[in-house]
Amino acid sequence: MPSVLNIKKGVEEGLRLFLESLLREKKVAGVFTLRKTNDEGAAAYTLITDPEHMQQAVPLYPLMPMNAGKALSSHTLGSASEAPLAAIVRPCEMRAFTELIKREQGHRDNLLLISVSCAGVFPLSSLSNGTLSQELPDYWESAQNAEIPAFLRPTCAACEHFLPFQADITVGVLGQKELNKECNLFLNTTKAEEMAEGAPGSITSGELETPEIQAVRKERMAERRKLFEPFTAQDYGLSGLVQTFAPCLSCHGCSTICPICYCTLCDFDSKTHEYQPTSYSIELDQKGGMRIPPGTLFFHTGRMVHMAVSCVNCGMCSDVCPVNIPVATIFSKVGDALAEEFEYVAGRDAEEELPLGTYKADEYSDIGE
Amino acid sequence: MKEKGKPATQDISPKNSFMSASYPAGDGFAKAIRAVLTKALDDQVFEAVMMPLKVPKTEAFAWTLLDDTKLLEHASPLPPVMTIQGGKALSELTKHGELIERTAVLLRPCETRAAVELFKLKQINLENITLISIDCPGAVPLSDYLSDPENQARKFQDLMEENGDEDALRPVCRICDKFSIPAPAEGGMEEGGHAADVHIGFLGQKGKRLLLFPLTEKGRTLVEGLGLKAESPENSWETAVQTMTDARRKNRQAFNKDFLSRISGPDPFSEMFDACINCHNCMRACPICYCQQCYYDSEAIRLPSENYLERAKKRGGLRFPLDTLLFHLGRMSHMVLSCVSCGACEDACPASIPVGQIFSLVGDQTQSSFEYVPGINRLQPLPLQAFREDEFCEVEIPCECGEGQAPSEVNKNA
Amino acid sequence: MNEEFNPKIVGFLCNWCSYTGADLAGVSRQQIPPSIRVIRVMCSGRIDPLFVTKTFFKGADGVMMMGCHPGDCHYQKGNFYARRRYILLKTIFKELGMESDRIILWWVSASEGAKYARVTREFSDQVTEMGPNPVQKEIFI
Repeated sequence: MPSVLNIKKGVEEGLRLFLESLLREKKVAGVFTLRKTNDEGAAAYTLITDPEHMQQAVPLYPLMPMNAGKALSSHTLGSASEAPLAAIVRPCEMRAFTELIKREQGHRDNLLLISVSCAGVFPLSSLSNGTLSQELPDYWESAQNAEIPAFLRPTCAACEHFLPFQADITVGVLGQKELNKECNLFLNTTKAEEMAEGAPGSITSGELETPEIQAVRKERMAERRKLFEPFTAQDYGLSGLVQTFAPCLSCHGCSTICPICYCTLCDFDSKTHEYQPTSYSIELDQKGGMRIPPGTLFFHTGRMVHMAVSCVNCGMCSDVCPVNIPVATIFSKVGDALAEEFEYVAGRDAEEELPLGTYKADEYSDIGE
Repeated sequence: MKEKGKPATQDISPKNSFMSASYPAGDGFAKAIRAVLTKALDDQVFEAVMMPLKVPKTEAFAWTLLDDTKLLEHASPLPPVMTIQGGKALSELTKHGELIERTAVLLRPCETRAAVELFKLKQINLENITLISIDCPGAVPLSDYLSDPENQARKFQDLMEENGDEDALRPVCRICDKFSIPAPAEGGMEEGGHAADVHIGFLGQKGKRLLLFPLTEKGRTLVEGLGLKAESPENSWETAVQTMTDARRKNRQAFNKDFLSRISGPDPFSEMFDACINCHNCMRACPICYCQQCYYDSEAIRLPSENYLERAKKRGGLRFPLDTLLFHLGRMSHMVLSCVSCGACEDACPASIPVGQIFSLVGDQTQSSFEYVPGINRLQPLPLQAFREDEFCEVEIPCECGEGQAPSEVNKNA
Repeated sequence: MNEEFNPKIVGFLCNWCSYTGADLAGVSRQQIPPSIRVIRVMCSGRIDPLFVTKTFFKGADGVMMMGCHPGDCHYQKGNFYARRRYILLKTIFKELGMESDRIILWWVSASEGAKYARVTREFSDQVTEMGPNPVQKEIFI
């Protein structure tokens, strides 16, 4: 049974206390976490170096203004962080960071990665349409009971990987009792245990993978099947895709915000796929009409080809889409199929190779013969 | 320039009126436009059209390049929302060279103006393009439309029939005074200067007819090709346009004053972007932002990650994603002189930041310093691509004369 | 099925094995369907999955990937990667309901002229049966 740092405070307050102590003890030079940016509910990820600023930190705030994996990658792009840092990120954000590390877009060394047994976040639109302030008071109780609050991000409601992989510390949230009185930090690695030495609170032991958690996983899978229902292959197909992506503005906000899409110049923004006047003329002649700009479905399918195998189901793409296309649903549905086919889980293990970067000589022996 | 003793060159077009040809629209605006376009395609007045079509089985609109008149049954010449900014769509079509087919393009006035700015920026090739602008009552916010398309379409229809509620419109539309042919320049627009080749007016016509205004040689060819003659000004239209322009101008002045007071100062301005997630949707939606790779997405702006901790220590914290305000102010410095207040940015923002209103306001202020109105005159050079020796001396040197002496002259007298 | 439908099939053939095999089929006067348009690549590992995707979206009725048998790749392992990319493509297309049967991979060695003729005939028949690729008529794609 892993050791647990138990702090007799509400879960977010306890976590704040722990992080503040890490800063004050100079065990870390900075803490990367969510911080309030105004009084209307907005928050942004911040690298906090001054312990005084920790008061404004809201590490478990149910909003994801960006996938933190992208931020961690940006910070550790050329080399590992020169000083020890602590980062509080959700499981999907950690998985994204791991997938980026595999693509040489980040380094884990010197990072104390703290994640949570995740109860999900609300979509970005909940800030401006009032649902966040409406649902926030009941969020923690729902988390305790492992219930899905109304208006949660659809990908969160349907997420089966709510326990982090390979985190140094896991903050117990989902299904944990008395979140307003107890903060339990599960110490998964030696680094975590070292960091916890002398921290406020007492060391006990505990289990994160409880029978209740197993039950939650089953519920989430059912929710996932429901989410994917409208897009099941039989009657979906080309016409389904055309209808779903009909309002697409080709803004490419989805790829810009996606943590896995790290390319500085996306292939689909480059000259590679641009149309010349002759191409327009030919296609116009063939079809009598063509959408401008062309290649909407090609962009989305192509992006799937490039990254769906590493899709972590975070749901940022749907949040950022100006025309409410359920991009995340479709991409994570395809991501699931690829995960099953390649027996791969994005971000599960930093040592595991990317599916297209490896092979077994004797696999798929029935193909092509 | 008048020579002494000689009469001024005859100005052919009347100073304050536009000539139009009438086209019956009793069966509805969209039907009339479809009839015009069908005839034009059948008679090969042009070979293709680019315009919004409603995607079957959806509530979505998509720009479509077509030469098959059967597709016009889906035509939606003036959709209730702006999807992709029309100027941007046109630049996708012609940035690599002139189109092979002679093509007519139907645009809202702000889309036309964006197209003209892009033409000046060499992102649109107007050879073989006939620009057709249309009177525009405005557009409803994209997010409102998505949550209730039927109702929003109805509200828009009411506005088309000139008895709707302008509160349904996007904020930038409510203050737009350039929803028709821009006010004629003193002495008339120079030949080749008009933004659109043809303008289609319907304001003040009570749904009875469309007015086709040829503004250029290409426009005259099109109107004549339809068998029409643009012979007379239409008072009812001019009055309707003038009334609406005056009202909108008042709105704009009031808005500019009020909004400016709300965002002035480093703190109020930066608070506007508290919820910004740096997704860059605004830049992607903006027609003027045409760069294949935005400077603010490039390696050039990226500081080494080794510096992040140092930057964080300076203030006790460092917000991610980095450099949000730098992006907005930088983008502003790059494009605001060409900002046509179309509001595509605001529709695209997932954090509901009033970015269209902010840029519109700053656009007004900066453009007026250069006496520049983006997109209404094809021949007016971009402000940063032209200069006079004798301008702005008041910001260069303490200038006693105050009459725009060349800096070199001022130096001599100092 | 339209009797007059002549499918357009694009084949990406690796230089060392399958292209040579196709050539052998030709000089051996094997019956090869006229629907196949061949694009030669040096190795099946050169086939970017976007080649196949783009070819499909440009309206090809069928797309073939061909290379050396696993273990026989001229560059040792290119075809192993090609095989995984093929699985990626099939999975994505299948999951989206996008007629994944229009994409196929065959291993054809330099001496397998008869196999080349057989698999291309089979695929051409199959694609003819399926009819034209619906993307050809799709305006809002």
